[in-house]
Amino acid sequence: MIWQQIANGIATGAVYALTTLGLTMVYGVLRVLHVAHAGVYALGAYVGLWAFRATGSFWLSLVAAMAACALAGLLIERFLYAPLLHLPRIIPLIASIGLFIAMEEAFRIVAGPYALAYDAEVRFGSLALGPLRLTGPQTLILTVTLVLLGLLWLLLSRSKVGLAMRATAMDAEITSSFGVNTRAIIALNFLIGSAMAGAAGALIGVYDNQVWPTMGSVPAYKCLAIVVLGGLGNIPGSVLASFLIGLAETLLIGIVAIPFPRDALAFVAMILVLMFRPYGLLGKG
Amino acid sequence: MTYGEFAAVRGVSFDVHDGDLVTIIGANGAGKSTILRSVMGLLRPRAGKILFRGEDITAEPGYLRARRGISLVPEGRRILPDLTVEENLRLGTYVLQDAGEVAAELERAYSLFPQLRARARQRGKTLSGGEQQMLAIARALVGRPRLLLLDEVSLGLMPTLVEQTFQTIKELYRQGATILLVEQNARMALSVATRGYVLETGTITLSGTAAELAADPKVKRAYLGG
Repeated sequence: MIWQQIANGIATGAVYALTTLGLTMVYGVLRVLHVAHAGVYALGAYVGLWAFRATGSFWLSLVAAMAACALAGLLIERFLYAPLLHLPRIIPLIASIGLFIAMEEAFRIVAGPYALAYDAEVRFGSLALGPLRLTGPQTLILTVTLVLLGLLWLLLSRSKVGLAMRATAMDAEITSSFGVNTRAIIALNFLIGSAMAGAAGALIGVYDNQVWPTMGSVPAYKCLAIVVLGGLGNIPGSVLASFLIGLAETLLIGIVAIPFPRDALAFVAMILVLMFRPYGLLGKG
Repeated sequence: MTYGEFAAVRGVSFDVHDGDLVTIIGANGAGKSTILRSVMGLLRPRAGKILFRGEDITAEPGYLRARRGISLVPEGRRILPDLTVEENLRLGTYVLQDAGEVAAELERAYSLFPQLRARARQRGKTLSGGEQQMLAIARALVGRPRLLLLDEVSLGLMPTLVEQTFQTIKELYRQGATILLVEQNARMALSVATRGYVLETGTITLSGTAAELAADPKVKRAYLGG
């Protein structure tokens, strides 16, 4: 029973990690809370669903979701944030919230208010590590997440572009004085982060077998809590916080069975951590 | 190399010739950093022109100027705190294409500043102020710049390190670098420079060879404490 809950928690944490990464990356380079990122996540689920209906292949639908979200991320950076960045940060934040609400309404108009089934049959082996058993879908989520995180880690730590990405997040102006086109690097952060959110949307759509217009609402604020918990703009911190919250949610609610709204847990954890570590788990003082 | 009709500050106009070591001296707040930041392309002048090797680069963003060979040691060093010393240097080589060239430049930087080699894997923020200054200079050199901009390199350094830093600048000049040096420490600046300009509240009030400026009674009184 407890091992089953742990397996659920790992899968949940993996999806949180994929979703939260984009938020962390965007905050890292722009210092803007990218609320509309949760709309991109829902877009990923819808595009995945439509691509699956059209092709019958889960893998193609995953790629389509990532590609569509990458494009959406680029457009958001170019047309929503870039024109507003010279203004106080509250302005792009409000614009982002506005875009998020508009996206939810657009999904409702285009796809209807009801949950749609995303019943992709993915043949994926289950995984047993001692007493820990991950079901096929859970193994799929964890595998895709680890592969994407691994690729991102390789890019950031081993490539010239990755060095430029890390430097831009620390000090964009000085980084540009060494020949780095920091505007292109910022766009690349949106592209990668949004593609990750697209993958998360498609994976969770298949895992829960449903896609609905406001599926981004809870992730929208929960991911903010996770980002703060991990240390704003800190990529390893947000991955760690994602898995911690995923596990804590399923364990506390599933095992202790306390009558506590599951989605509030991330915030309680955020408040507790911030009381003792004001810059988050891996944040810098 | 010419920077003509340079009006970012106010009607400021000056030239830096190939292989020259030019200094702009002036008090704190006279606008020295504004000039360097405008040459680097981190600030857009509202009026005026910046020419580099005969081409008008006024409208060009900083990253393209870096690719032309302009390089800056910024005021306050601006070391990237969570990158290692080596990663900071690698960022300085961003404009180089060839991996062999990058390795050779890193090696050259390490032999110029052996302390940096010992700390290659340490994060930038763990270095002392003097080491950070060395790293900032090395980082600006490894990209093989045609024009090196130095902004207040002596600020916040112990006197022995100031001496050492200016020895390094002189050495770089001897090796053929073109340098524009902006300094509050006029005595040190004029001792290494070939030519100089005096900047007072946004306008150039005096120019000449370093020896002429050092002998000028007004400069003596205002900047050399004599």
